Amino acid sequence: MNADGNVGRTGGIRPEMRTGAWVALLLLWSLGPMLWQLYTSLRTPAALLAGAGGLAGGWTLGNYTAVLTGDPPFWRYLLNSSVVGALSTLLTLALAIPCAYALSRRRVLLRLLVGGGLLAAAVFPYVLLFLALLQVARQLGLANNLLALCLPYAGLQLPLAVLLLQAAFAELPPELEESAVLEGFSLWQRLRWILLPLMGPAVVSTGLLVFLFSWNEFPIALTWISRSELLTLAPAMARIAGSSVYTVPYGAFAAATVLGSAPLLALLLLFQRQIVAGLTQGAIKG
Amino acid sequence: MNALLLMAPALLLLLAVFVWPLLDYAWLSLQAQSVFTGLEAVPVGPLNWQRLAADGRFWQDAWQTLRFALVSVGLELLAGLAIALLLHQRWRGRGVVRSLALLPWALPTTVMALGWRWIFNDPYGPINGLLQSLGLASVPFLAAPELAWLATVVADVWKTTPFVALLLLAGLQMIPHDLYEAFALEGGTPWQGLWRITLPLLRPYVFIAALFRLAQALGVFDLIAVLTGGGPASSTESLAVYAYLNAMRFLDFGYSATVMLGMFLLLLLGAAALLVWRRQAEVRA
Repeated sequence: MNADGNVGRTGGIRPEMRTGAWVALLLLWSLGPMLWQLYTSLRTPAALLAGAGGLAGGWTLGNYTAVLTGDPPFWRYLLNSSVVGALSTLLTLALAIPCAYALSRRRVLLRLLVGGGLLAAAVFPYVLLFLALLQVARQLGLANNLLALCLPYAGLQLPLAVLLLQAAFAELPPELEESAVLEGFSLWQRLRWILLPLMGPAVVSTGLLVFLFSWNEFPIALTWISRSELLTLAPAMARIAGSSVYTVPYGAFAAATVLGSAPLLALLLLFQRQIVAGLTQGAIKG
Repeated sequence: MNALLLMAPALLLLLAVFVWPLLDYAWLSLQAQSVFTGLEAVPVGPLNWQRLAADGRFWQDAWQTLRFALVSVGLELLAGLAIALLLHQRWRGRGVVRSLALLPWALPTTVMALGWRWIFNDPYGPINGLLQSLGLASVPFLAAPELAWLATVVADVWKTTPFVALLLLAGLQMIPHDLYEAFALEGGTPWQGLWRITLPLLRPYVFIAALFRLAQALGVFDLIAVLTGGGPASSTESLAVYAYLNAMRFLDFGYSATVMLGMFLLLLLGAAALLVWRRQAEVRA
């Protein structure tokens, strides 16, 4: 450290250090609660009762073994959520892409009108719909059918998906399609070979948001599914929470939260750019 | 090719999921359908609506839901702005920090609500552990009405601030840097720049973030259901939780539909008020 370095910051803290302190605070706030779950999940019941924050002794993997060998084993919920998430995403995209395409080729006035309706539906607190949807499910015999969850999930995510994809279609130059029409391409061929390859980023962003929603959805899964081996992650967590309200310590609960969070952490680290793009586009274009 | 044909499947599903339930509730709210009617629907006219108007628990929950939404979203906007300003600066490792900071938003609400229940646990949670090691008495966060609703706010702010921060960050990235340089040349300080350039230009983004978040917060269900179950003594119960209890615990479907429709009407009223207020703000500007 030379002399003039010190002269420049008499009485003050260097800006980089201030930024560093804020970043540390942000990470502590964002990750602290999860790190606490990780810590709890690795402690024995006796160690947890002895006091929060101890480090000496009392480490165990027993909480994980308990959760993973339960009835049903915890990975079953993760599998159920993955299946529902993947199928809901495919169904939503299959319905939203043609709809968004048709909408993007319509007059501006219609697009604004439909766009307004879709935006209202996208921000609507969908929990209000659960009772009517449950009645429909019972009448059609869809209760306790894991795959049937894709229908309400696709319906609930269509507004956001159509808005996002419509904006992406509208950004493609119209000349591209016009020349394909002259070449004699059918609508399906134009969509499949010309337009969709250019839509990759938008389709991936939209799909990720739909997947996250379906993976995390609670009230509809809670009311449609009662058989425990068919539960998705969110209602399974609520059932674990409700089954033993007064049971301390929380070692097994914490192991469940860690196992339930890990896949999403991986997804986020792999696809953060696409998820961020989808999120910001969704709000701004909508 | 017929555009309507391409849109038809999506529109049909949208009608089934969004429009049909509201029509169903309108009909159901004029029926008695509960254990007293053997779960058969019996027309009763406006009886459910009269009950709603006089139902103290409904209005109490409406107030609690509004308080939760306004306080949570207000705090989220403040914290979200601070985080967006931090992430907007250039420093090493910014991309990784942005992903990690987004984690709370990506997790299922029920997972993290269970996590927060352990953090607020009395006396074994870490907050009470810290208080005890300082020689203080532990605090029953989830058992005292005054504290339990604050606990729900903290958990909600933790979970959804990343969403607000990302939206505001996108807004910050739209502001041309020249504006700040010109402002600095005129002798403006960074703090004045925040008030005179950043915040006015960020306003549409703040509005969008507030709109999305208010709508979600007013419908809060997952978080309350797992963190407090609406307790203690219904002090954290939201309207959505009340509607759920009416249907699934009290098996009073007619009244549950009325509660949900009542909540929907209150939301419409709020949305209309927001639009009028925004219109007036635009006229003034």
